[in-house]
Amino acid sequence: MKQGNVITVLLLVGLALTALTLIQAVSQSYALPGNNIGYEPVQLIAYPHRLHAGELGIDCKFCHTGAETSRTAGVPSANVCMDCHRFVTAPFNQVRAEDEAATKENRKPRRIVSPELQKLYSALGLDSTLQRSATAEETRIVWMKVHSLPDFAYFDHRAHVNASVDCQTCHGEVQTMERVRQVSDLTMGWCVNCHRSSNARGVKGKPVKASTDCVTCHY
Amino acid sequence: MNGHHTHDTMEHDNETSRLDRRDFLKLAGFTFAGVALTGCEQARVEKAIPYLIKPEEITPGKASWYASTCAGCNAGCGILVKNRDGRPIKIEGNPDHPISRGGLCAIGQAQVLGLYDSQRLQGPQINGATSDWPTLDRTIHARLREVRAGNKSVRFLSGTMTSPTTLALLKRFLSSFKDGKHVVYDPISRSAILEAHARTHGIRALPHYRFDRAEVIVGLEADFLGTWISPVEFTAAYGSGRTLEGNPPKCSYHVQIESRLSLTGGRSDKRYAISPSERVPLLEALLALLEGKSQSAKLPHFSFLNDLAGRLNSARGTSLVVCGSNDVASQILTNAINELLGNYGKTLDMQSPSYQHQSNDNALQTLLTEIRGGKVGALFVHGVNPVYDLPKGREIGELLSRLPLVVSFAERVDETAQHAGFVCPEPHPLSSWRDTEAVAGVVSMTQPALAPLENTRSLMESLSEWLGNRASAHELMQQEWRKSVFPRQSAEKDLAAFWNRSVHDGFAAVAPRPHRTEKYDSRPVQNVASPETGADSFELVLYPKVSMGDGRHAHNAWLQEVPDPITKITWDNYAILSEAAAKKLGVLSGDIVRLSFTDPTAASGIELELPTWIQPGQKDSVVAVALGYGRKGTDRFANIGPRWFEGKPSVGPGGLVGVNAAPALQFLNGQLLYERGGVRIERTGRHQTLACTQTYHSIDTPPLLAQGSESRRPYVQYATLAAYAEDRAAGGGPKHESRSMWPEQHEYKGAHWGMMVDLNACTGCAACVVSCQAENNIPVVGKDEVHRNRELHWIRIDRYFVENDGELDVAHQPMMCQHCANAPCETVCPVLATVHSEEGLNQQVYNRCVGTRYCANNCPYKIRRFNWFDYLHEDAKQNMVLNPDVTVRSRGVMEKCSLCVQRIQEQKIEAKKNGKKVADGAIKTACQQSCPAQAIVFGDMNDADSFVSKRIADARRFNLLADLETRPSVGYMTMVRNRTNKSDETPHG
Repeated sequence: MKQGNVITVLLLVGLALTALTLIQAVSQSYALPGNNIGYEPVQLIAYPHRLHAGELGIDCKFCHTGAETSRTAGVPSANVCMDCHRFVTAPFNQVRAEDEAATKENRKPRRIVSPELQKLYSALGLDSTLQRSATAEETRIVWMKVHSLPDFAYFDHRAHVNASVDCQTCHGEVQTMERVRQVSDLTMGWCVNCHRSSNARGVKGKPVKASTDCVTCHY
Repeated sequence: MNGHHTHDTMEHDNETSRLDRRDFLKLAGFTFAGVALTGCEQARVEKAIPYLIKPEEITPGKASWYASTCAGCNAGCGILVKNRDGRPIKIEGNPDHPISRGGLCAIGQAQVLGLYDSQRLQGPQINGATSDWPTLDRTIHARLREVRAGNKSVRFLSGTMTSPTTLALLKRFLSSFKDGKHVVYDPISRSAILEAHARTHGIRALPHYRFDRAEVIVGLEADFLGTWISPVEFTAAYGSGRTLEGNPPKCSYHVQIESRLSLTGGRSDKRYAISPSERVPLLEALLALLEGKSQSAKLPHFSFLNDLAGRLNSARGTSLVVCGSNDVASQILTNAINELLGNYGKTLDMQSPSYQHQSNDNALQTLLTEIRGGKVGALFVHGVNPVYDLPKGREIGELLSRLPLVVSFAERVDETAQHAGFVCPEPHPLSSWRDTEAVAGVVSMTQPALAPLENTRSLMESLSEWLGNRASAHELMQQEWRKSVFPRQSAEKDLAAFWNRSVHDGFAAVAPRPHRTEKYDSRPVQNVASPETGADSFELVLYPKVSMGDGRHAHNAWLQEVPDPITKITWDNYAILSEAAAKKLGVLSGDIVRLSFTDPTAASGIELELPTWIQPGQKDSVVAVALGYGRKGTDRFANIGPRWFEGKPSVGPGGLVGVNAAPALQFLNGQLLYERGGVRIERTGRHQTLACTQTYHSIDTPPLLAQGSESRRPYVQYATLAAYAEDRAAGGGPKHESRSMWPEQHEYKGAHWGMMVDLNACTGCAACVVSCQAENNIPVVGKDEVHRNRELHWIRIDRYFVENDGELDVAHQPMMCQHCANAPCETVCPVLATVHSEEGLNQQVYNRCVGTRYCANNCPYKIRRFNWFDYLHEDAKQNMVLNPDVTVRSRGVMEKCSLCVQRIQEQKIEAKKNGKKVADGAIKTACQQSCPAQAIVFGDMNDADSFVSKRIADARRFNLLADLETRPSVGYMTMVRNRTNKSDETPHG
């Protein structure tokens, strides 16, 4: 009897602790288990969306070319980066500072290559002067996938982008993010709610037909 | 729920381990904490790795298609290879290809799995050890110098070769030796047809058979819709003569005379069973009747020939008699009959003949004699496996071991390659450049859909290396095309443009090389040698199976698990006996029998031990055995399927899948003969389980439940041509009154997808089954699981037999999910895992399914499949073949045909993008695309102009089990046989 009491107390304490941990976990991220909202992984190359999509105003689809034509928007290949970064090797202010310093010291400005961009060049087997070095090998660039859906859900970028859904509707204000973070919970209820409200209100004033059949996403 | 389960167990085990309520609570507490902790775990970290430099034509997530040529057999069908993210995942027929016209058979469909076989050789081998190409070439060059110095003969033994480039290179290679010869044989030989034409028409050629031009077709042991020469092409051509269009309805008359029931025999309008020894007398009798030398057939059991001769006589120039036997006497008589009927130049094309079989059995025998005589200094073996597929294979193997130089080009160390000093593996056809001229004037192109996965080299490249002028296959082909293909056409002026168009289209139509045929010579007919007649024993017939052919694809698990169209057996070959013969012998299906016979050329008698299969339609005096089984290396399938305590291997007693029947072949009158008399059969007393799929998933009403006529429900509607000509709705069952209790609730405002299957076109060839398997990631479950009624094919082809006055009719009915409007499965699912879509699809949501299997129980069509296990690929590399657009189902969920909803979605999204409606025919389901007979039509039933709507409006349309008011979206069309008696018969299960 006594021993039983001890076990019951221990069990209750354990339960209370578990419940507390769980409540804390849920309240911190406002997410149920399996929901990845707030996920903001550190990337191999610290690519700032804020600069490219925000300050420079480059269209999302300039790099994510699959968004209109394919199921996946796609992570751009290195040759897309090189369209600009063949010429732009470092942030503008650093280059200007070096130019000014060189004028002051009456010398030729040094070539500045940002360490982040050097990672891109190295992956392509190029040195800091963008010359192919004989020894360097090409290596793949491994990005951390921020927005992941389970394997039994089939999302199609084409259908959404062509229906005028803004990228920001699901991905948030990426143009303000230094590092991309998941801002929507990407759960089924979230998807279906948007499909329902789009059917009722349309997208940007245009009527749409967003199916809520299971086979729209699950097959 | 978990807790409850523990509680149950606890009470059962009361005596042995005393668990009380508190212990249970403890356990429960830990479980809860565990669940909570797992829930807090971060999701799996996924990575995205883009191309470093993306090829312009590739968009990740979008399929690219490459036109190519199937290399599954010699027929040379055009294919389109679907690539996703750089790897081929599906093969479809090329609709523009002049030979195959869009269809593709089961073997062709399964080729993509073979590409990812990790047991393919990874590189060249010397004396059984892995080597590299430079070493191998140095050694072979040295050996070839020795052969040249020693004045020894060089022989190149291969299967039929249709590649112009390879043939040209081979000619140059062999002419560099004093005595170099190319010897061609096929494991399933058609040599007698060529031999007969050499004698009667002065040209050793295989005619191009034109079944589309034939109104009266006589098939004599020729399974031309299943395995004979070019089944996909012949099925399409045969079907085009039986469309039932117009008035009177277009329908050829087809008589099949054969010793075992073949797929073609099942389709025929009239079928007669004969034994092989009756074949020559029958042909002689038919010839005599046609010549007017006799008024009626002398032999009483050939009396049907009188009517047949009359029909043939009235269809001169539009009839076709084909004989599948490899006996020259029979073929000469067949030629005489076709010549007499004026069919040459009409239904048999000799001007642009077929190159699909060039076997020369005489030359093969000469070669074997030469090898025995020690005359041969070097032997190259390509595309054939003589140790396996010829009689006395073991002796051949020993002879090969003694030759100074044997080079094999096998993809794996097969029966022959293990006797070869050098193995030079070729890349898989899906990753190589090749060309094929299967029928004169049609040069098909094979282009690589991915880089070779192994360190391989094509035959062309090897030959060019040994000729001292190394070039890539691509260069070699372009050189040859400039010389011999480009000049044969005039449509393109520029070689580069011609080449590019041919690569794009997958083929080039050019002028056939001129063929000189001599005037028909009737002399050989008088010289027909009478074959030996069987004594009072069995006659053995060896045949290729639809899915296995000559056995070269025995390592393909998809093909091993395809049910045979007639016997419906998977994973085995067997001795087929008629019911009467089995009764006489006292054996039942599955009982192992011993076939024994003496061969005059062999020292001792030969024996084969095989399980029995009792088959209606078989001649009583005949025992039939499939070739292509018992291949070396099929012991890999011992552990295919789930491994659990009751699991049994998929291999037979010998450790291999099936038994090799090739030792029973014989050389007779110069030909490799696939039949022999004097076979004794005895019981062994042992039994072997055969995994047959016809005996379960039966939609028959059990006799106890059936009330009166309902025990024999009409599943396949069937009419005679005479009845159909009078009433297009002939054969239809009584119209049942609608007394539905279902509310009318589905509106289908947009599209309403539907499918129609024309049973008059379907031959039961199982191409759709494998196509569906490839498209929808359907796993192989293994023989034991098939035997436990757990095979997972989404399409089951039901086979029905009906016997009318001793005549046997066969009907095939592909059964996939019927996508009922009033679906019985939907009402019983407790978790709404199967629900109706607004476009009429019966959706199966895997991630919702909890595996109650209520739906499968309630499905009257028995088309639902349950994952009893996680059915993994036997070879992990084969995961590369998975279609990324379809979920891989895990253990415990139900699955079934989705009408290829991933294809529907793809086309819907593309159409929406372009602001258009989905065009009729834009969506093709996998089964429909592959069907050589074009029996399957899919489309929007709400669109009155769609093809499927027109089929639904056709009087031949019927729905299966319509009295259940399920209102299926899949319908069938009445089968019509060209018969004159108007009584309507409906086959039953």
